[in-house]
Amino acid sequence: MNCAPRRLVPGRSAFNGNIMSSQTLDRASSFDHLVPFRWPSAWSDPALLRWFAASPINCLLFESLNAARPVVGAARAAGLTALEWSSLKAAPLEQVEWDSAASQTAITGLVWPRIKISKGESDVDAGPTGAPWIDSNSWVARLAAVRAPSRPVWLGFELAKDDPTPDLATYNIAIADSAASGARWMMALDEGLRKGLPVGNADAVKTWRGILATLAFFEKRRQWAAWERWGSIGILSSFAGKDEFMGQELLNLAARRNLLYRVLDRAHPASQKFEGLPAVLYVDSELPSAELKAKLGAFARSGGMLIVPHALAAQFPGEASVATQVAGYEVKSLGRGSVAAATRDWDDPFFLAADVHNLVKRRNDPVALFNARSLWEHYSVAPEGRGALLQFVAFTSRPTESVSVAPAKAWRSAAMHTIGPDAPAILEPAKVEGRVEFHLPPFSWYTAVEFRS
Amino acid sequence: MRDNRAICGRMTRRGLLMNTGMAALGAALLPRAGRAAVEAPAAPVALARCRSYDAELMPALTKMFDQIGGLGRLASGKTVAVKVNLTGDPDSRIGFVPIGCTAWTHPAVIAGTVHLLGRAGARRIRILESPWRSAEPVQEYISAAGWDPILFTGAASNVEFENTNFLGSGKRYVRFPVPRGGHLFPAFDLNHSYADCDVFVSIGKMKEHLTTGITLSMKNCFGITPCTIYGDGAPDDEAGLVPRGGRFPIHTGSRQPAKCSPSEIDPKSPREGGYRVPRCVSDLVAARPIHLAIIDGVESMTGAEGIGPMTKHVAPHVLVAGTNTVCVDAVGMAVMGFDPMADRGKAPFEFSDSTLRLAEELGVGTRDLKRIEVIGDRIADLVFDYRKNGFPMRREIPDHDHPAAPPKA
Repeated sequence: MNCAPRRLVPGRSAFNGNIMSSQTLDRASSFDHLVPFRWPSAWSDPALLRWFAASPINCLLFESLNAARPVVGAARAAGLTALEWSSLKAAPLEQVEWDSAASQTAITGLVWPRIKISKGESDVDAGPTGAPWIDSNSWVARLAAVRAPSRPVWLGFELAKDDPTPDLATYNIAIADSAASGARWMMALDEGLRKGLPVGNADAVKTWRGILATLAFFEKRRQWAAWERWGSIGILSSFAGKDEFMGQELLNLAARRNLLYRVLDRAHPASQKFEGLPAVLYVDSELPSAELKAKLGAFARSGGMLIVPHALAAQFPGEASVATQVAGYEVKSLGRGSVAAATRDWDDPFFLAADVHNLVKRRNDPVALFNARSLWEHYSVAPEGRGALLQFVAFTSRPTESVSVAPAKAWRSAAMHTIGPDAPAILEPAKVEGRVEFHLPPFSWYTAVEFRS
Repeated sequence: MRDNRAICGRMTRRGLLMNTGMAALGAALLPRAGRAAVEAPAAPVALARCRSYDAELMPALTKMFDQIGGLGRLASGKTVAVKVNLTGDPDSRIGFVPIGCTAWTHPAVIAGTVHLLGRAGARRIRILESPWRSAEPVQEYISAAGWDPILFTGAASNVEFENTNFLGSGKRYVRFPVPRGGHLFPAFDLNHSYADCDVFVSIGKMKEHLTTGITLSMKNCFGITPCTIYGDGAPDDEAGLVPRGGRFPIHTGSRQPAKCSPSEIDPKSPREGGYRVPRCVSDLVAARPIHLAIIDGVESMTGAEGIGPMTKHVAPHVLVAGTNTVCVDAVGMAVMGFDPMADRGKAPFEFSDSTLRLAEELGVGTRDLKRIEVIGDRIADLVFDYRKNGFPMRREIPDHDHPAAPPKA
């Protein structure tokens, strides 16, 4: 797959000059490389396609193909894919049809990734950690990838009218939050860019160039999206119905405290891969199927820790009591592993995430982080374990400084990728209190540390 | 004047509780205005230069403990509780400097003390902390700082951890009356670990503090209050099962403790951190006496008690230890370049009352250097001026001490 930015060449088209609809495309092969962009309905001049020359954006989303026929035709002639919005079957998360024949999973109504600002105030909201509250769509992308694994995930979010005017940082964070989660943002421009670009406003052009550079950075590294997400805990839930809030918020808040997890969806047995996990958390109060219950029991007996809610404690009685200092849990051995049953009902997903992290223990984290509280961490492993990737999204426009990374595994090398330079920077290991750390140079918005064995 | 060492040498759990009970009785009989007239006790303080946490640390600690009477008479056959100072997020650093070299008591100082207590015959050693609004096991909390708990469990026999921010492994909270009635609270309900011990050790860090000016061995004990009772998220009536908020109510007086525990003495007293926190701390160290106070000033930070934008890593290269916490803090203050006799309006107490003076009033110990025997190095030779070595900063009442504007949860 060649994801390098393409130069528009009039008369050549990847799709033989047809206006494409999702039904006419070979789903598996053609949508995976598409980089979507929501074409502003006020842009009626085909000349505006010049802004997409040498751009990684190769898929334009139109409200109506007929209404934008001149632009659509020109785009098609230039080799771009043009899709009508309605063909995407885009929907809010709870309305997505996971088993539909759609070519991609397009989810709308999402948050703009950022540090949350209180309405009418200049200061930031604090979350339960005391750290600033962060809006991110990463958990949505992760859940969608599990529910429809063969389809690329496209995320839809826009700025509200009363939001502050976005700058390049605002866009870069939005792109990075999606890309680091293995998804793509259906990019929607703010009013300033929608009006500024057509008239060649210098600030708008500068921002646009920066956006394209950021997109190009991620598209060049698109293979990372296929690396396997790794975590010390598998979070197993239906993430729907009465368990929707607890399940979904748990995904969100586990990420907030940099607890790495694997999504395990009760409705999608193929996603229920326990191998390599130190622990599985069964979130729902509903009894698992007999088959799943047996699988969970087998997981614990083979050495894992199974964490279950209070309501299901009797279903997994375990054997002998095991001492624990984690308040609110009774831990019992089960075969070579253990079962930790809550002694009261869970009411707060943030505290549940903290409990789970304490039960699983930090020594199972693949990497220890310092000065990374405002960062969102993503960790994935290369095929055959030859490498690992630690991605950070920084939700602030200020450069992030003095972040230390201490991997649990002894990697042969570590390289730091940042938006801008083509070549990654080689990181030298430092010995701190007896362990190997890598001290990251200052970076903005996003960085990825690639470990190699 | 009595020597605290003699008291500590004979101290048993039963004796401790009887003593505190008698003190409370005495306090009830003592007119409030007459408190300051009672001369507070003094005890020798060992002071040592220590340039690193490496090879020279253990010899320095060993020598200092010997200078103040030895750990054997204090700890032999006893259960020892060690309150350490783990303020702030464990994964925060000033630059790339590990937190043990800035905001937290350094692990080598904790492990070294634990080792020497074990060697002195301590029967059981319990490392205590109440991590900020969390019921997290202490082992996990320190793991987040990159510390391996085995560093401590391997330093002596029978070493345990307990998070004292909630009931923990106990079945009930234990009430500690404040001798002489207390400044802010008449008594505190604390985790059982503060009663189930014969000897109580406070290992503080040599730091400034936004609210109380300094944080040394006494202020370290602010964190023994369980947030399930004294915290933001505590239920109105009973103690919570686990903490749901921090100790800001003690700062601002925004609410009283859960009704199961004693309310403050005067709900109309100032709702200001600089008034309240020093009083609370002095009440605590009077109610739960400290038998061995240690200040880790080998490496530390200036500017605040927790890592923030105006804090700076520094290396005063000093250790302080003694059996009287007020005397130890007085020497610590002097080493930091402050006058231990200072009070509100004078550095470091620009916006607070002096915890030392308030503890002195409760009869805990004297802050008067003229009455304190300093053993080992001389203060004058080890002074490390915190204000001169810190960032120039605008000193003002911190936001979290304004009663009208408590920080967001």
